[in-house]
Amino acid sequence: MTETRLLNLNDVAFAYDGDVALDHVTMHIDPGQAVALIGPNGSGKSTMLKGVLGVIPLVHGEMTVFRPKKGRGQSGRIGYLPQDDDIDADFPITLRQVVMMGRYRRLGLFRFPAPDDRQAVADALEVTGLSSRANHRFGTLSGGQQQRGLLARAMATKPSLLLLDEPFNALDQPNRDALITTLNDLKARGVGILLTTHDLDLAREVCDSVLLVNGTQIAFGAREEVLTLANLQQAFRDVQVEVDEHTVVLPGHEH
Amino acid sequence: MNLIDILSQAFTLPFMWRAAIVLGALALAAGLIGVFVNLRGLEFMSDGLTHAVFPGVAAGFVFAGQGGVVIGAILAAALATVVLTLLSRRRVTSDAAIAIILTTMFSVGVIIVSRSHDVTASLEQLLFGHLFTVTTTEVITTALVCAIALALVLVTLRGQVFSSFDERGAAASGYGTLGLTLILNVAIACVVVAASIAVGNLLVLAVLIVPGAISRMWSRGLGGLFAGALIFALVAAALGLLGSFTVSVGADVAVPGGAAIAVVFVAGYMLSLLLRALVRDTSRSVEA
Ligand SMILES: Nc1ncnc2c1ncn2[C@@H]1O[C@H](COP(=O)(O)OP(=O)(O)OP(=O)(O)O)[C@@H](O)[C@H]1O
Ligand SMILES: [Mg+2]
Repeated sequence: MTETRLLNLNDVAFAYDGDVALDHVTMHIDPGQAVALIGPNGSGKSTMLKGVLGVIPLVHGEMTVFRPKKGRGQSGRIGYLPQDDDIDADFPITLRQVVMMGRYRRLGLFRFPAPDDRQAVADALEVTGLSSRANHRFGTLSGGQQQRGLLARAMATKPSLLLLDEPFNALDQPNRDALITTLNDLKARGVGILLTTHDLDLAREVCDSVLLVNGTQIAFGAREEVLTLANLQQAFRDVQVEVDEHTVVLPGHEH
Repeated sequence: MNLIDILSQAFTLPFMWRAAIVLGALALAAGLIGVFVNLRGLEFMSDGLTHAVFPGVAAGFVFAGQGGVVIGAILAAALATVVLTLLSRRRVTSDAAIAIILTTMFSVGVIIVSRSHDVTASLEQLLFGHLFTVTTTEVITTALVCAIALALVLVTLRGQVFSSFDERGAAASGYGTLGLTLILNVAIACVVVAASIAVGNLLVLAVLIVPGAISRMWSRGLGGLFAGALIFALVAAALGLLGSFTVSVGADVAVPGGAAIAVVFVAGYMLSLLLRALVRDTSRSVEA
């Protein structure tokens, strides 16, 4: 069982330059499982994704990320959508070329893109509804289109594990719905998904499990077990939370 | 003597062939690597490297004579590159790091120069270039240095493109971005050294920065970006070389090759800016 696991964390802590931003994380993701990572601003959600990618160091505990059979680097087959990117809007590159970057690790140093690489790029553009924009300069796309473009890049990787940081944020309603459908398709094909969101309803549409954090792990497990009022109160000490259409003003915010 | 005569005479002269080989190699390397200098905004760092080369030249000459100049320059540039790259990772802003390194290296250079008299002549050659008097050994060294620069970037091309566009994304997909930055900076250092021989240390920046900057003004995608920079660099280098030869022979006014080439590059940039202002941005109007 552990062999097929995509991600396994045991009492893990991640830190920036020695400052621990998130600790005591014990969770796992199996193929076809989608986990919502929920917590208030600054609770360590983005930190968690960067830690799994290996971009920031693990300072405590054990983490195993599945290893792709071919290709170097443990993150060779992880698709990642950053929350904010520091992309230069004036960079002379077309959307299609950006999405092709998702294939770079497979292409290696010198191989030219083969038909299956082009197909993966075309498919990713198709599901993100960007086919007609493929030859546009990336910087000329709108914010939401750029975000979908980066999502397409993550999907072109044909990842086993997708890490999505606030994927719904810049999307309008039709594109949110489309993304939900896409993510459920990927899940059905055995892709593991870890996504952050502030919207519990969206989390519900895609994710069966929830990891609740606030600088430390509050709870991990099946959605209904984790999203209890007590857990949410602990995580969102003084923030409003929507639970089942009722807006709950949590203690600390009441007058 | 008319223009045709002068030009047909040009390549019967061995020194013109040597100059052409040096410039061709330099144009290819500077064209490709200049694209990344532009994409990553490394103009100031490149400028810092041109200064860092100075003590290397002086030390190389003192320890190994004329033949040590290029090696000294390469070692100094490589050392400065590594230190600069590591410092800028340590949250010293890269401008501050460059200023510190630059001053240190420069003072070392001044101390070395002040202890030796022969150095000044060779230093002058490096500051202003000596395109028409390069020796065969220098041709080989320059071509080799350019080839190393090209090889470093070509072998890591995809990673370089990815991390210039989106460094965090590149790291996330498994590229070692520190290594890539180091490799790129070493390649820049190689171009700086090669260009110092051909066009002179003081004019290196024109050759390194202009092709990438021009090409970026006009390209929508990566293909055009690289092709444009390489073509411009080759054409401008050829124009500069033949131009300075023609003027020197035809009008009997000695024009230093390096300066002529820098002028052509900069004029090309001005022209491109002007045209860009006149022509509507096609890539933007497509979007509507
Ligand atoms: N590059 C960084 N260097 C140092 N500390 C950081 C860095 N990025 C984030 N932090 C700190 O780590 C903690 C967690 O930040 P993180 O970005 O993971 O929050 P988040 O849960 O993603 O918040 P949000 O909902 O706003 O996206 C915060 O206290 C933040 O200040
Ligand atoms: Mg975040």
